[in-house]
Amino acid sequence: MKYTSARLVEHLASTYALGTLAGGARRRFERLLQERADLRLAVAEWESRLGLLGQAAPPHAAPPRVWAAVDARTRPLAAASAPARPAPLGWLKPASFSLGGVAAGLLAASVLFVLVPGLFITADRAAMLTGQRLPQSYVGLLTDAQGDGKLLVSSLRHGTAMTVKVIGPITPPAQGRLVLWAVPAQGPAFVLGPVPLTGSATSQLPGTSEQLLSKVQKLVVTAETDTAPTAPGAVVFSGNCAKLW
Amino acid sequence: MSLDSLTLQQLIARTARGDHACFAQVYARTQAHLFGVALRMLGREQAAEDVLQEAFVSIWKSAGSYRSEVNGQPVQPMTWLIAVVRNKALDALRQRTRRAESELPGDDALDDATGASAPSALDLLGEATRALHIEACLGALDGSHRQSLALAYYQGLSHSEVAQQMGAPLGSVKAWIRRGLDKLKACLAARGVAA
Repeated sequence: MKYTSARLVEHLASTYALGTLAGGARRRFERLLQERADLRLAVAEWESRLGLLGQAAPPHAAPPRVWAAVDARTRPLAAASAPARPAPLGWLKPASFSLGGVAAGLLAASVLFVLVPGLFITADRAAMLTGQRLPQSYVGLLTDAQGDGKLLVSSLRHGTAMTVKVIGPITPPAQGRLVLWAVPAQGPAFVLGPVPLTGSATSQLPGTSEQLLSKVQKLVVTAETDTAPTAPGAVVFSGNCAKLW
Repeated sequence: MSLDSLTLQQLIARTARGDHACFAQVYARTQAHLFGVALRMLGREQAAEDVLQEAFVSIWKSAGSYRSEVNGQPVQPMTWLIAVVRNKALDALRQRTRRAESELPGDDALDDATGASAPSALDLLGEATRALHIEACLGALDGSHRQSLALAYYQGLSHSEVAQQMGAPLGSVKAWIRRGLDKLKACLAARGVAA
């Protein structure tokens, strides 16, 4: 079935949005939704109509644990930088470790950490911790056409998170959103992430900065209306991508 | 600008750009209503909590897919959020065997979770149509048509489940729901409140 009949499309979209389209028919329709913009539009219209009915449902406060769970799942960086949970000690029992032994081990490790940090961390990190050096990072200072600083972009060399900090007032684009692009010396530009209008934003990169940015010389910001732009539009801000090591 | 002064639409737009504080504000403003929708459909608090959690993780990931306008008609952010929650609730309902589920804790699970005084699905449909000023228009529908539409929408029942609950032939229920949807579309279009 090609689902070309407007009446059939309307019927399927309405029953899909209502939820009565079930089983194999629903799964087939969901597959078609991935491919057909007309079906997505019809569903969006029905979801909008039916959503109006949903506003009559009596409110009921959700327990705080729901937000705690949502928060934990949507803050990857915060979660990653939070102190690691203490490992449960149960696994030690089969080896007949005593708590005293564990404490002694921790003490010995602490002494070694202070005396010979190179055993635990890289020389670069040790230098950074002692204030002798900044961490190896990729950084970019982006300015507008007048040369006024607007954005500071930074990412650890072997990290997969990128921070974009607003350092000068930014006028929101008339349409769409601001997008940060990496422009390699050779090859097409690619999207690095969204640009906040104020404050700073951190986004997850698809790989390490070293993998993505080692051959990138320039960073640009464009205003894009497309949710998944494939090439940069008119440049709003630009700057060089530098290696901080 | 403080988050309190932003509209829900602006908060969703900022959520799409990765602003977690705005996302938290979207949750704070809408959770009670959306939890009410999920609870109404699923009947149990734990299941509704799971659905609300999944829905908001999805909202965080796909806030950019919210369109404030479809075919020239504005789409209220709340109706989009409700659609996300309903879809997750429908997934949850499909994943469990409703019959087996209803046999374990008893047939009154819905009342246990939502309170004995919770309005019926038909009451909710009546309230919604009054709020939308389409009561008179939708009133042209037979009571069975409205009842079947209300059960399908507010409780996420399938055609056969509606038929079973109403003690009506499956074919009749399908026709009633079809007619109810057609009438709803016509009434909303006449009021200019939806595409």
